[in-house]
Amino acid sequence: MSIEQAASHMIGATSAASTGSGILWLIPFLPFFGFLINGLTGRRLKNTKVVDAIALGSVGISFLLTVYFFFQLLALPENSRSIHQNLWTWFDLGGARVLGGLSTTTVQWAYKFDALSAAMAILVTGAGFLIHLFSTGYMAEERNDGRYYRFMAYMNLFVFSMLNLVLGANILMMFLGWEGVGLCSYLLIGFYFDRDYAAAAGKKAFVTNRVGDFGFMIGFFLLIMLFGNLDFDTMMGMVRGISGMPSITLFGHTAAPTFWFNLIGCCLFVGAIGKSAQIPLYVWLPDAMAGPTPVSALIHAATMVTSGLYMITRLNFIYVLAPGALSLVLFVGALTALFAATMGLAQYDIKKVLAYSTVSQLGFMFMGLGAGAFSAGMFHVFTHAAFKACLFLGSGSVIAACHHEQDMRNMGGLRKYMPWTFASMGLATLAIAGVPPFSGFFSKDEILWKVFEHGWNGQGWFYYLCWGLGMLAAFCTAFYMVRLMAMTFFGEFRGAGNDPFGLTVPSEAHHGGDDDAHGAHGHAAHGDALADAHTNPGLHVHAADDLTDHGHAGQAHGPSEVPWNMWVPVFIFAVLAVVLGFLNLPPSLKGSEHFSKWLEPLLYQAAAAHGGHHAAESIEYWLMGFAIVWALSAMGLAWWMYISDPSWSRAKAFVARFPQLFEWVNAKYYVDEFYDAMVINPIKQLSAQLWSLDNWVIDGMVNGAARFTVMLASASDWFDAKVVDGLVNAVAWGLQQGSMGFKALQSGRVQNYAFVMMLGFLAFAFWKFLA
Amino acid sequence: MVSMNAVLLISFLLWSVGVAGVLIRRNALVILMCVELMLNAANLNFIAFARQSGTVHGQAIALLVMGFAAAEVAVGLALVVALYRRKGNIQVDEINLLKG
Repeated sequence: MSIEQAASHMIGATSAASTGSGILWLIPFLPFFGFLINGLTGRRLKNTKVVDAIALGSVGISFLLTVYFFFQLLALPENSRSIHQNLWTWFDLGGARVLGGLSTTTVQWAYKFDALSAAMAILVTGAGFLIHLFSTGYMAEERNDGRYYRFMAYMNLFVFSMLNLVLGANILMMFLGWEGVGLCSYLLIGFYFDRDYAAAAGKKAFVTNRVGDFGFMIGFFLLIMLFGNLDFDTMMGMVRGISGMPSITLFGHTAAPTFWFNLIGCCLFVGAIGKSAQIPLYVWLPDAMAGPTPVSALIHAATMVTSGLYMITRLNFIYVLAPGALSLVLFVGALTALFAATMGLAQYDIKKVLAYSTVSQLGFMFMGLGAGAFSAGMFHVFTHAAFKACLFLGSGSVIAACHHEQDMRNMGGLRKYMPWTFASMGLATLAIAGVPPFSGFFSKDEILWKVFEHGWNGQGWFYYLCWGLGMLAAFCTAFYMVRLMAMTFFGEFRGAGNDPFGLTVPSEAHHGGDDDAHGAHGHAAHGDALADAHTNPGLHVHAADDLTDHGHAGQAHGPSEVPWNMWVPVFIFAVLAVVLGFLNLPPSLKGSEHFSKWLEPLLYQAAAAHGGHHAAESIEYWLMGFAIVWALSAMGLAWWMYISDPSWSRAKAFVARFPQLFEWVNAKYYVDEFYDAMVINPIKQLSAQLWSLDNWVIDGMVNGAARFTVMLASASDWFDAKVVDGLVNAVAWGLQQGSMGFKALQSGRVQNYAFVMMLGFLAFAFWKFLA
Repeated sequence: MVSMNAVLLISFLLWSVGVAGVLIRRNALVILMCVELMLNAANLNFIAFARQSGTVHGQAIALLVMGFAAAEVAVGLALVVALYRRKGNIQVDEINLLKG
């Protein structure tokens, strides 16, 4: 089994003792309190500085607490690095029939701080804090229109959900956070909910994630059936026993444990596909750029999209025993990495490039997990969080500096105006492109190396294929990142009517003096702008001509460096992007893999170690060298096309040569249209048909039954009123009439009675004596 | 010797006067007196038939009827007096308490 070898160098699984703590709950709950305070009172606060203090303070203290617990963890012995807190029993599952036996278990509201969740918590709170800080600058225009508190409250809620996800001690707590970040992504992406495109994007993210969650839920229901338990530690302790069973019967189906592990792994991976934007559910992430840029950075680069990876790493003990599911993870990851990277090549919207880049990088991370190198995948999560957050926030700075211009064709030359942003984004670009010694090189190279190693160990062409896809994706990554930098920061500034090479496109992002929606505008209709650019290449509307009243009084009209609370977070992320790689230097580079060693006690190993099955180090050096040359040539190509040639004539010539190809890539391979045609419209039509079935047949039957009943009832009413009541009344009437006669007879007069008596007597006499 | 038929005719007339009085008159006292007339008509028949047959049975029953009549008048007059005290008159058509 290939995975056993992948896990071979890991130390044995642990179910080590855990240390209790009384204040662990504060880490997730502080941002929650921040959300409550801002959400409930923010509307009435006149001074938005108070909102800042609460939002930033709660996340900041949470970060400090996380660091404190991190050092606590460091002080513990390696195999018992776990701190937990049980807050209360969330609910009692009662007795569940599990594997033929009755299991009673309760679900605890419990938090667990171990090597993996510590790393993730530092990422979430640290990056979260910096992004909050950035938002105080970026969202400045919202401060005055009463929406600011709402934004900050959502951000805090997001951090709470994400912390719940990573700190939860059982899979249900994780699912709570999982759904929480889904909700927050909906709220934040649709923050400008009065714009149709933003509302639609929020809806799209939410619905797409629900599709994935369906798989996730089936997966963890199966986990309950298999383990009778949801607690991560308990499951990890039980897994060896379950994997040793000859066969397992669930729902009347008997199969080997590997079958069930594969099934669970695939179901859970469907959830990860939704949350972490892999093929085929990645479509929500590019659209999610409709939200404010800090949201893109927080949700779509650093935290939420990594939850799928975190989940798989957390449940590595399942995946190690599920080779089929792991192969699926690897293949989907590789395919997504390449597919999304090619789409990044042909985008003009600066945030869209980064969005596809995120999808692609997530593909890389899944490749790492799929190769059984969980620590390599998680390592890429961390380096990627740093450089992608830097790039996203940097692009936010650029967008803010260019007055909400997002089309890179209308930027250019910004390196002179915003040196800090340029330097930071430059470092992050080198990191993501895979240039040593920046962090991205180490993490990406490790992933590709692990995949290659499987192939080298004779486990089939499949691994070579995935490795090849990954290398192509890495080439595209280096290319489109340099393209982005070139279009944004090099050449001449193309705004404000300055357009020597005819490269700008009309932008609908500007509304001059209308002050109703700064910050809310600017994301709409870029597709239209692109379409215009294709049909009317000669049409130039100079973006800044009508910006005389833009709320930036006292500033020159060109772009300028953003305030400190915006570039400082960007710069910090850039520094991290540079140095993080050294956390996990491989042994072949005289490093000691601190990060992998840190995670090792949490990683389950299926079988005893197979030492010596590693590929030779010389191969690793060769591969490393190849990767460096590969990345540099991609960057050189981009440099040659976009920087050494400011009119981009070479790029244009290429596009002119293959117009169809460019159209296809620019339109993202028409995947959205494909989904519309193949999935959404059929569902709509089916719904319409079901509706008409419902409307005409079901409702008709119901209404017909109602009408029939009404008719029956009125007939019955008529019969009752006329016949039954008639008989009763007729009897009463007859009796009444009869009684009238008798009543008249009973006059009360003695003489009448005597007269009658005498008549009777006479009649008797007549009959007796005379007749 | 008065013939039997004449006696019977007298008796019949007497009884008819009595019946007419009972049925027609409204004064309770007069009605009582008419009842006496009818009783006497009956007595007259008894006596006539007793003499015709030469036995005393009829005479005896006539005496008995007189006794009954005396008792009846005693009770009837008591009722009439009580009625007068209660209602203030003794007109029988005013006394219709048994009317349905």
